[in-house]
Amino acid sequence: MFIRAASTISHQPTFRNKGFSSKLLPLTPDTALIHPDYGMFIPPKDTRRLNDILKMAITCTSDCLLQAEIDQPDAIIVGTSMGCNEFTKTFLDKIHAANGGLIAPTAFMLSTHNTIAGQVSLFLGNQSYNITHTHNNLSFEHALVDAMMAVEEGKQRVLVGAADEMGNELYDMHERLQNNQLLATSGASLFILSDEGSSVAIHLIDVDCYSQLENLEATINDFLKRNKLTLEEVNRVLFSASRSATAETLSRIFQTEKIVDYQVFSGAYYVNSAFAMHLAVDLLEMESKPGEKVLICNNLIPNNLGLILLSR
Amino acid sequence: MRIFVTGIGVVSALGDTVQQNWNALKTGNTGIQWSDRLGLMVGEVKQTNESIMRAYALPQVDFSRTTLLALIAAKTCWGENRLVPTLKTGLVAATSAGGLDRMEEYYFRHKTDPDFVMNTLMTHDNGRTTDRLANLLGMNGFVGTISTACSSGANAIMHGARLIRHGRLDRALVGGSDPLTSFNLKGFGSLMIYDPDICKPFDANRKGLNMGEGGAFLLLESERSLVETGNKPLCELTGWCNATDAYHQTASSPEGVGASITMQGCLRMAGITAEQVNYVNAHGTGTGNNDLSETAALKKVFGVKTPPFSSTKGFTGHTLAAAGAVEAVFSVMAILENALLPNANFTTPMPETDLLPVTTFKENAGVEYALSNSFGFGGNCTSLLFKRHH
Amino acid sequence: MDELKQTLKEQIIQELNLKEVKPEDIADDTPLFGDGLGLDSIDALELIVIMENFHGVKITDASVGKEVLYSINTMAEYITQNKPA
Repeated sequence: MFIRAASTISHQPTFRNKGFSSKLLPLTPDTALIHPDYGMFIPPKDTRRLNDILKMAITCTSDCLLQAEIDQPDAIIVGTSMGCNEFTKTFLDKIHAANGGLIAPTAFMLSTHNTIAGQVSLFLGNQSYNITHTHNNLSFEHALVDAMMAVEEGKQRVLVGAADEMGNELYDMHERLQNNQLLATSGASLFILSDEGSSVAIHLIDVDCYSQLENLEATINDFLKRNKLTLEEVNRVLFSASRSATAETLSRIFQTEKIVDYQVFSGAYYVNSAFAMHLAVDLLEMESKPGEKVLICNNLIPNNLGLILLSR
Repeated sequence: MRIFVTGIGVVSALGDTVQQNWNALKTGNTGIQWSDRLGLMVGEVKQTNESIMRAYALPQVDFSRTTLLALIAAKTCWGENRLVPTLKTGLVAATSAGGLDRMEEYYFRHKTDPDFVMNTLMTHDNGRTTDRLANLLGMNGFVGTISTACSSGANAIMHGARLIRHGRLDRALVGGSDPLTSFNLKGFGSLMIYDPDICKPFDANRKGLNMGEGGAFLLLESERSLVETGNKPLCELTGWCNATDAYHQTASSPEGVGASITMQGCLRMAGITAEQVNYVNAHGTGTGNNDLSETAALKKVFGVKTPPFSSTKGFTGHTLAAAGAVEAVFSVMAILENALLPNANFTTPMPETDLLPVTTFKENAGVEYALSNSFGFGGNCTSLLFKRHH
Repeated sequence: MDELKQTLKEQIIQELNLKEVKPEDIADDTPLFGDGLGLDSIDALELIVIMENFHGVKITDASVGKEVLYSINTMAEYITQNKPA
């Protein structure tokens, strides 16, 4: 299975910028999100109900369709932990302010978790399969499992990705990650997954999600074993974690120089493993030899593990 | 690969057990009542959070009602089954509210009581309510959450079936739950779609919906799993389809485009003709828009011979993300009991589509195939097709 | 009356986030829905909130709402006739 297109809006120069992986700098608290000119991708008349996270997701979608040279995907699958969190907060504020009086409905209407996937379908006029997975740090991995199944079922061009926003008091990530000193932020990444080959030629080999994780090392070993790989055959490991034990284990079972903490570059948001997947695609395209493999190890919540395996 | 339903559990305003729910539907007793506390007609689950926590001897932590309602249904559904290393068992739960019930309490109290525990917020996101459910059920491994507004429950069932078909799981506990929250009560209120009385799905004079709460789960198994568990199938899940209306964020298209794609998709997948469907448990919220759109879709798919159909939301209220799962359980029961479920409060057919739902409980109805519809915000449409197991 | 109409236009643009529209683009008799300004059913609810919260005028009946919210003219007339003393 191939990744035919990848598009990310983040704090890094990821958007429409092949080779961005060589230009990454660790985020500092004052690094801003790099917003492209949304007007280039979304007609102004269509933006009045869209906030940043929706504009980001729709813009990445448009970019993916351009890259894959297609008009419509055969499925739209999105992972998001918090959904349209800002609209949720806006509507809560409106309830509070209305004090029993009339409340304007727009924020409520846009507050559901599937607003992102729904607005993408509306924007494209797309009537195909449309699902939203919302399982904290594993939201993207669950979406990716679904997308792999969709391709296996014969859907040729599956739009899959993830988006999350934070920055208000409803978001508990800061609390959760307070020891990490990481910038809590937002991001959107979308991909086209297909059985058809392309010039990109990056394979998505496997993905899985593990809850109530008991043993990180054994789980990684089982995952590699089912893909007939050894630890040595993995060339690079991109990981996220909220405690040091994860990095210690990964350093021990892989070599220390193979492991990279991607959160330093993406910032903290629940679906930043989608950023990591785009980073892996870029690394494999720009720096690797055919056959090289990248494992993404998402252990942002200690009990939940997501594993994604890619190769060139 | 065949997908068997081997367990069901449901909690709604009609009761905490499948039997209580069935008896209420059979005798035509609605669970929708006036709530002084909420100032609305709602389908409220009688048990309080405290009584559920006592019943299951849960630790005194801040559980979301989403988790607690799911727990009642999931425990009933799971029954005496055991986790075994030889069967890959997963959990797919649906919710739209997640921990919103706890979070809104935090949010409103935090404004006046800065010491109100931050811990409450830790139950906030949807995944957390599922993780806690998994924890209480002792499940690990593949645990996911789907949130597509009011079609969520149906999509969780579909997803579980696909995970089994693709060999990722042998068994899947699938369903959904949603509690009544101020946020959703005010939200649907802001859309001005409440019936001040008990809702009248598919009636010309329908005024809107009633909110409800609940949870429902189904246990799906592969053939291989059946051999090992020895469970007896209740019925089979032979069709599923999800599609998007792509018409409006909240409104359904007047022609019922998405709904007709999903119903037709189920028939195609199961390889049956429209005439073979014996009962449709409709989404039927009682809003002007939904019922018009859904009846247009029924006519498009079934032509002049619309099968018996009804909405059970006049009994349970609209249980949002749980609705697809609650109504899937009712559809399974319709097959098991060979009966058609009544549609409450129907008197006058809609002039536009002129369709008559089933209005009384009918036994010996020859239900071989039952179709269940669920539609949500974002134009999200899902249909599921259940087949009698012979 | 003209002042009220101007205020309504500004409020509609503000509350519905019609960034591309200027008050002078909305003629007093332009239909707000359909082929005119192109508003939808959710916007209708937003207009009802504007009528009640900014002008103290309630619309409870949907069929009345359809006529009242037809254009700036009809909205302004309804406010003038029903405004609490």
